[in-house]
Amino acid sequence: MHIFAEKAGMTRRQFLKGSGLLAVTVIVSGIFAKIGIDAFAAGDNYIAQRAAGLYSLDEKMALRKSHENPEIIEIYREFLSPGEEKYLSAKAHHLLHTKYGKNIPAFIEELKAPGQNENSHEAA
Amino acid sequence: MSTAVLNNGVIHVSDQCKACDHCTSICPTGAIQGRLGEKHHIEIRKCINCGQCLINCPFGAIDDFSMVNERIRKALDNPHQFVVVQEAPAVRVALGEEFGLAPGTNVKNKMYAALRKLGFDKVYDTEFAADLTITEEGTELIHRVFNALGVPGFEHAGPLPQFTSCCPAWVKYAEDNYPQILPHISTAKSPQQMFGAVSKTYLAEKLSLDPGTIYSVSVMPCTAKKYECDRPEFIASGYKDVDAVMTTRELAQMIKTAGIDFVNLPDERADQFIGSSTGAATIFGVTGGVMEAALRTAYEVLSGEALGKVDFQAVRGLDPVREAVVEVPVKALGGKTLPVSVCIVTGTRYVAPIIEDVLADRSNYHFIEVMNCPGGCINGGGQPIRRDTY
Repeated sequence: MHIFAEKAGMTRRQFLKGSGLLAVTVIVSGIFAKIGIDAFAAGDNYIAQRAAGLYSLDEKMALRKSHENPEIIEIYREFLSPGEEKYLSAKAHHLLHTKYGKNIPAFIEELKAPGQNENSHEAA
Repeated sequence: MSTAVLNNGVIHVSDQCKACDHCTSICPTGAIQGRLGEKHHIEIRKCINCGQCLINCPFGAIDDFSMVNERIRKALDNPHQFVVVQEAPAVRVALGEEFGLAPGTNVKNKMYAALRKLGFDKVYDTEFAADLTITEEGTELIHRVFNALGVPGFEHAGPLPQFTSCCPAWVKYAEDNYPQILPHISTAKSPQQMFGAVSKTYLAEKLSLDPGTIYSVSVMPCTAKKYECDRPEFIASGYKDVDAVMTTRELAQMIKTAGIDFVNLPDERADQFIGSSTGAATIFGVTGGVMEAALRTAYEVLSGEALGKVDFQAVRGLDPVREAVVEVPVKALGGKTLPVSVCIVTGTRYVAPIIEDVLADRSNYHFIEVMNCPGGCINGGGQPIRRDTY
């Protein structure tokens, strides 16, 4: 009978062996977790750094509003709406706007045969 | 050939694929097929060419279609072609990473110098076209708002809310999945395409060139821009708006192949007529930037007053969905204040509920910015790959 009887408690040696294994497991998994967290943080970090780069460039620019760009003023006054600064002028609409999805095939035909359907651009 | 991108897509899985399945969790449209342990492939019809799988593949097993040898080098070598180049805002704060500089370092002026050394006849800037996008798209928004308020003379303007149209991955996603939402997308072309159209018309006039000899190249942080440039409708000038696109990575490779000592290049400026820009254009490269740029201009146009503080902190940040309300006094309404309600989405996987709200008439937004890549173009599929994050 005594062959199957378990000895109560554990020896000092068994305790040290068990707690040592547990400690090593905790430390090793902690190191892996730290590597994972750092990699994740680094992954986000370079995106934030690139964003910060653009915002600091914006702050350093002499002009910070699109409609104040002198070359934008010039392209409207000389080319897109001669003599004035008219956004969405007919020429601007023709060159700078487009259509989507199922409207594209007819739009391409219209661009290839100009003049036949000039006022259709208002419908989106 | 120009149909290559449209028929075969920009993004391809190579034989290096280890079938780890990481890309399927990144893809915003579920376009990547293949079981764990099986080489994956991309379903062209679902793929929006964003390249997020490419920059996130741990094995570098995903490639993008290159136009460098077949188009760009041939144009540069052809003495009869006048080759002009534009570079997107996000390129200038990431290109330096390929030459050992920290992310976010501004290398704009060295980039202009490098492009001249590579043989481009004139070096301009996509930021000019971003400013042009704001005057066009911002005005379109104002017209839609006036139409909704019943102001006479704006009956032909489209419905609210208006969605941005700069991101070709987002536009293809909408066309593929939500055709009913298309009237809400701004009709303004993206800055890349606007630049192309202007380069073959206004610039040709200014430089007294035959537009047929102008070859328009762009440097983009984006793989979807390659698909966009080959879409067949971009021919309003009588010529293809943009002839070829290279990514930030491909420009770095060209600079290295040419043996150019990039970090020691002198600082140069962009060329005249379509090369200057404002800070509003610079922030197009980060999520919320198009919104902020549009608000700066729309506020001044609507109120007739100068904006004291141009920073709209409320629209900044890297969260995938953000919203804000901006009070704008409207001169045309006798100074009545209009609360302009805006939303910013970065990551196409987050946009469906917002579209559903618009289609069900539950949305109160006036203007919605959508960028496919998390963080905006700065994290685009054409940007330097950060292997240090694995």
